[in-house]
Amino acid sequence: MDTSSLAHGIWVFGDYRNYFQNRVTLQLIAKGRELAETLGTSVTAVLLGKEVHQFAMEYIAHGADVVMVAEHSALERYQVELYTSLIARWAEAFQPDILLGGATSFGREFFPRLAKRLKTGLSADCMNLSVDPDTGLLIQTTPAFGGNLLAEVITPRRRPQMATVHPGVFKELPHNVNATGRVVYPEIEVNAEERVRVLRSRRQQVRESNLEDAQVVIVGGWGLGSGEEFKTLFELAELLEGEVGATRPVVLAGWVDEGRLLGQTGKTVKPRLLISIATSGALQYTTAINGAETIIAINRDSHAPIFKMADLGLVGESSAVLPLLLETLRKRMSGARRR
Amino acid sequence: MKYQESHLSAHHNYLVNGMLAQGFSVGDSGSRNGFFLLADIVPFSETAPRISARLMDEEARLLVELEANRIRENPGKGSIEHSLDGYRIVNFSGEVLMEVRTRAFANGYLTLLRARLFDEHGHLKVEPCDESICVYGGNYLSRGSNPKSEVIQGRLRQGKNFLHRFRGRLPVRDVSCLR
Amino acid sequence: MNIVVCIKQVPDEPAIRIDFERMTLIREGVESTINPLDRVALEAGLDLRGRAGGQVTVLTMGPPQSVESLREALAAGADRAVLLTDPAFAGSDTLATSHVLAMAISRLNPFPDLLLCGMQTTDSDTGHVGPQIAEELNLPQVCGVNEINVEGDSLVVERLSDGFLDIVRVTLPALISVNRELCPVRSLPLGALEMAFSRGDIDRWGREELGLSEEEVGFEGSATRVQRLLEPEPQRKGELVSGSPHLLVTRLTRMLETLGMLDEEDGY
Repeated sequence: MDTSSLAHGIWVFGDYRNYFQNRVTLQLIAKGRELAETLGTSVTAVLLGKEVHQFAMEYIAHGADVVMVAEHSALERYQVELYTSLIARWAEAFQPDILLGGATSFGREFFPRLAKRLKTGLSADCMNLSVDPDTGLLIQTTPAFGGNLLAEVITPRRRPQMATVHPGVFKELPHNVNATGRVVYPEIEVNAEERVRVLRSRRQQVRESNLEDAQVVIVGGWGLGSGEEFKTLFELAELLEGEVGATRPVVLAGWVDEGRLLGQTGKTVKPRLLISIATSGALQYTTAINGAETIIAINRDSHAPIFKMADLGLVGESSAVLPLLLETLRKRMSGARRR
Repeated sequence: MKYQESHLSAHHNYLVNGMLAQGFSVGDSGSRNGFFLLADIVPFSETAPRISARLMDEEARLLVELEANRIRENPGKGSIEHSLDGYRIVNFSGEVLMEVRTRAFANGYLTLLRARLFDEHGHLKVEPCDESICVYGGNYLSRGSNPKSEVIQGRLRQGKNFLHRFRGRLPVRDVSCLR
Repeated sequence: MNIVVCIKQVPDEPAIRIDFERMTLIREGVESTINPLDRVALEAGLDLRGRAGGQVTVLTMGPPQSVESLREALAAGADRAVLLTDPAFAGSDTLATSHVLAMAISRLNPFPDLLLCGMQTTDSDTGHVGPQIAEELNLPQVCGVNEINVEGDSLVVERLSDGFLDIVRVTLPALISVNRELCPVRSLPLGALEMAFSRGDIDRWGREELGLSEEEVGFEGSATRVQRLLEPEPQRKGELVSGSPHLLVTRLTRMLETLGMLDEEDGY
């Protein structure tokens, strides 16, 4: 394994904000290690900020061979343009083969700009990364067609091959207190021009949702047809002592607030029972419900991918099934325990 | 593109020349009378930094010799003042010769130093820099994680005859010079 | 203020049908709509025009039928619409798409003060095109915005990012991508759609009008390509039941009983 050269390695962007909740950089370093093994190269974590010493040490502890650091007061806050300029210059000098980043809010607006600056390809929200044994190319597996299929994407000619990955897709390596590595401080040029300036930043109070702890989750999808239909799920949830969740098109349409979103960009749940109603089964949604013990799906299309995730699949119109279900349960539950 | 490089540990590092380093040394710790400052690698079972040094005045007179954070020879009648996060070596006249402070993170430690030190020829070798120090001339120490270094680890852990043990041979795997 | 809104026509979600034999999207008879967040961006643009004066131009890149979404935008109140369409654009990834859009925007006279787009689309969902247009046109960007205020030649906006609520000042010209919370979308006024369909003034620009070579667009101009499409592996092998609603409900309640969720005794 050639670790003496800093060129042609696998780079991982160090997204250290919310460090103890946001483990995506560590997860990508772990995946990077796997890829590095196959490709015979090393993993470098790229870190920009002020007083980021702690994170440099953490990245080494969790498997990075090298940490490349820019320490400067101007870098204290995440900034898209400044970070793009710095990392683009380093990438042009050190020629990494692969550059990975977490699909956090910042990653999602920063990585495309960086990819454009470097005139290279970027896959978003990859669900897997692997190396093609014949070509040595990075295979970026992403959801396609609204999440109904998986696409294997490659970046055949441009470099670095870039990809973002959601937190939780890969597993981090355990903290190794014995780890050592190289820390590199390349020269940096910081231009004072600030076209985007954060005037105030406040931690947003996260509204406590019982969704993640719920034993029963009822999920409504776009196929319900309207916000009115969606509202009927709340009664169903109450009868079963559960919580209501929603898929992304439902949230985008404004039928329910974002706190109920289940999916890659929302919450992940692990209930005893999950009933998924009128959801097609997009991958960005199903990854978040995979941990449920039992899944029952209702959809009018027998081909809907959701049925691949269900322990019991019911093919029918939710508009016909729901009222009947509610009626049945009301009768069964009347006289039984109430909240 | 120019860059500077050092060796980093997951457990404990010093901040020197604006960089993290597992350990570093300036001057010759093996010499009998010359100036040196050795910030040694801290094994994972310990949390305190390991500083050894021969602190001198501009006329190359020995003030204090420090071995693994303890005063060994003290012609200058200096003293150690301990604090919650480290200690200071204070001159007879109350002047602070060197300050050592360690910051604890969730899973690791960072030691910052503060000193202005000259060698036996009156040349400035160490001075305050940002939060810590900059050193002129010297080596970064590193410890790989292979079985051989475990043995060296074992020796480091014993500590008592520490200075004798490394005299003439620094406990290093790789040595790279300051760029 | 001259505002440009980039919109995309996307399949209406419930109608996504996949031809699993040929691994393609079945487009026949599928309804399309303006990507919901782009619709919000358009509404925000119209609102800003109301406050600060100026013009709203809507741009879309897509197959010829994308013109329908432009008409919808005109019906909502946009002043001008431009369709970027050319067979050569097919197969573009976001790098190539953002290049086409950026070139088109630079042809607009005057150059816009503000570019608006939705944060992400319901179909491909990458959220890349906005930032990549901003990069090509060397504009500052702020993404995920849910409130916009004008202050002189800057905007002061609010956005949520990784759990932080930021108030940000950005100098114009700039690109802003919007979040759902930004603007309630008003319904189209009666007859507006009809009127929009009778207007003839939608510009159509193709590769040549934009002065682009074949290597810069479509498949050739893309850095990524899809090597393979896969159906996801079945994760669970459950029973699939068809029948009357009554039958389905019976099966469901039977499962609930098995799980002990329909216990009628008073709980612990």
